[in-house]
Amino acid sequence: MKKKILYKSLLFLLIIVCINVIYSYTFFSSDLKKNSPCAYQCQLLPAGIDVVYFGESSNTAFAKDDSTRKSISGLVQFFNPEIKIATIDTFAVHAGIYKHWTFQFKENKPKALVVTMNLRSFDAAWINSTLETPLLKSIRLVQTPVYGFNRLALALKMPDEKTEKEREQDMLQTWIDDELSFPYPFRYKNVRQWDDAMANGEAKPIGTEFTNEQIILGCHYIKGFAFNIRESNPRIKDFDEIVEWGNENKVKIYFNLLAENIKEAEYLVGKELVYLMRQNRDYLVNRYTKMGAVVIDNMELLEPENFIDRNWTTEHYNDKGRIAIAKNIVKQLSIKK
Amino acid sequence: MAFVPKYILILFLIIIVDYIAGLTIEQIQDKKLKLFYLILSLVSNIALLAFFKYFNFINSNLESLFHVFGKEFKPYNLNVILPIGLSFHTFQSMSYTIEVYRGRQKAERHLGYFANYVLFFPQMVAGPIEKYETLGNELKKNVTPLYDNFANGFRLILFGLFVKMVVADNVAPIVNAVYNNPAEYHSAEVLAAVLLFSFQIYADFYGYSTIALGAARLLGVNLIDNFKTPYLATSITDFWKRWHISLTSWFRNYVYFSLGGNKVNAFKWILNILIIFFLSGLWHGASWTFVVWGLLHGIVYLFEKGFSKLFNFKVKEGFSFLNLLLGIKTFLLVSFIWIFFRAESFAKAKQIISSMFNNWNIQAGNLYFGYSVLFVALMMLSDVLFYKVRANEWLAAKTPALRWAVYSLLLFFLICLSGIESLPFIYFQF
Repeated sequence: MKKKILYKSLLFLLIIVCINVIYSYTFFSSDLKKNSPCAYQCQLLPAGIDVVYFGESSNTAFAKDDSTRKSISGLVQFFNPEIKIATIDTFAVHAGIYKHWTFQFKENKPKALVVTMNLRSFDAAWINSTLETPLLKSIRLVQTPVYGFNRLALALKMPDEKTEKEREQDMLQTWIDDELSFPYPFRYKNVRQWDDAMANGEAKPIGTEFTNEQIILGCHYIKGFAFNIRESNPRIKDFDEIVEWGNENKVKIYFNLLAENIKEAEYLVGKELVYLMRQNRDYLVNRYTKMGAVVIDNMELLEPENFIDRNWTTEHYNDKGRIAIAKNIVKQLSIKK
Repeated sequence: MAFVPKYILILFLIIIVDYIAGLTIEQIQDKKLKLFYLILSLVSNIALLAFFKYFNFINSNLESLFHVFGKEFKPYNLNVILPIGLSFHTFQSMSYTIEVYRGRQKAERHLGYFANYVLFFPQMVAGPIEKYETLGNELKKNVTPLYDNFANGFRLILFGLFVKMVVADNVAPIVNAVYNNPAEYHSAEVLAAVLLFSFQIYADFYGYSTIALGAARLLGVNLIDNFKTPYLATSITDFWKRWHISLTSWFRNYVYFSLGGNKVNAFKWILNILIIFFLSGLWHGASWTFVVWGLLHGIVYLFEKGFSKLFNFKVKEGFSFLNLLLGIKTFLLVSFIWIFFRAESFAKAKQIISSMFNNWNIQAGNLYFGYSVLFVALMMLSDVLFYKVRANEWLAAKTPALRWAVYSLLLFFLICLSGIESLPFIYFQF
């Protein structure tokens, strides 16, 4: 009986292995194209590309009256025509997704990789966003080298995806659990308290009067930027893995730390929020510079008028904003032809 | 519907109420008192169901009713999630107390055995709805791990997974696309989606039931079949003998017979039939579309019965050209009636029906069918093969080479071609 079970188990395993091989050479490519188009693009990228730019919605021209429709990466190419740049971008992505794109480069790996680093992607709202489910689904097919297993995991919805409600609860809990750290006493212990105070009109800087819209925007700034990046933040692990991959594969890694509307944040919320943003920026610059990457610090590069959205904290720039960031990237890129 | 851990208390409540009711009903001699305890048990179960499933439905209907009479009624909307599988385990538990009341079942003295009957996980969330007589006794069997149980259990699970993940989940996106926006598709596509939904819901529920059968079999427990090739039925009467068999039996045994069955005058019998189908529709969901779905089945059922009686028409068993035509007729009727089951409102159902006829400009098709038609054909082929035997029994009788070839093929489909949209089992919502 034991032998019978052993032989049948081995036969079963053999069948699974064969199916996995067949899948890898047949349906995998079309599945990847359909479900993970960005990862597919990374696999298909022709050899000889100098720079690959990974981006999200910041790499888009939104304003109708812009003098150019070129994206940040398009402008980098424009200002630096002698290098070959490829852009792979989609909305709402973050380092947890970029790292899986990165792993898709094989013989076609570029000389340098510019990865968008959005400060808000470290916050609890983005980490627990409802967009996380489709994003995770988009990289499921390449999550392990056993493609057949990945395909089955995708069909079985494995690992179990959190519901919208669970994600919301996690986010709210993080806003309570994560204590804000300042070198001086501060009235609010966490995001929850600070956000409540802002909503009640208690947290606004002295001598200011805000409209309802401004109060709401102030709350968004607190929820988007009031945190201290710690080692345990999942994005840190993701960016670390990208740098490690770059070091192993001799691909220079550049992190394009996006510009934020610092002046608006200070006006609406106060200098404490700007302190946290700067502290987090310094943490990222120090950490990744030490690890061998280049952090292109655009955080305070732009003026409020370069930001398009008036009621949200999004990193959507007008033509002048994108040009300034692109020039800053070009200045720091050092590609040997 | 959802799994909420604290909802396990609902199950404990059902277990305690029906366990005590069973014992009490058996001990009491007074018939009126027996009936009182039965009603008490049934009301407790139905109240739970009504609270979680029908509270908002009743309220919104009251609001409409008040509106008709020019009065104002502000409904209180309950914001609770329907516990997963509530309709199934309340019906299963109620069948026990009714059977004890009727003297056909001895009351279970061991709380553990009774709790195991209500909580038996493979069929807890979507059936089959088992009588205590069958499942209770199965659970009391002294089970030793047998190779045969494992082999048969895994065969059933593998086949169930194929039916759900490969057939239902590949068909679902096509059906969803059309039902979400029928105006975008031409009549042939809408018609195809309507027919495909018949296969989707069958594959979805049949797949679940087969997985449940397999999971129970791994534990040495045999569950009843919930399906018997329903789309090979030659009439609506025949269809209900083959579709969701355990629910049909439940309504027949506990509602239809209680109302007098067919031993009443013609008018009362017609009413009984309509009541059964009305309740069956309502059981599926707290919406008038489900009720209409049930009633339409009832009307066709009555029409067929009348036709048979009037012309003394009887269908002969076995394959014949006439049976083929009757099978196609039944399938088309059932498919049409499914529209009310699938559409979330009457407006949507109307839109689907009008789209089926209004746009025959079939040059520009939007729908991509992929492999779905092939998978549906495979499932229907399996229905023909398994007309008289279960999938596992059919396979067990074949040579090892053929068996493993079938396993390989099913695994290949599962790994390489199963649907990947996030689609829970349809019947979990009931």
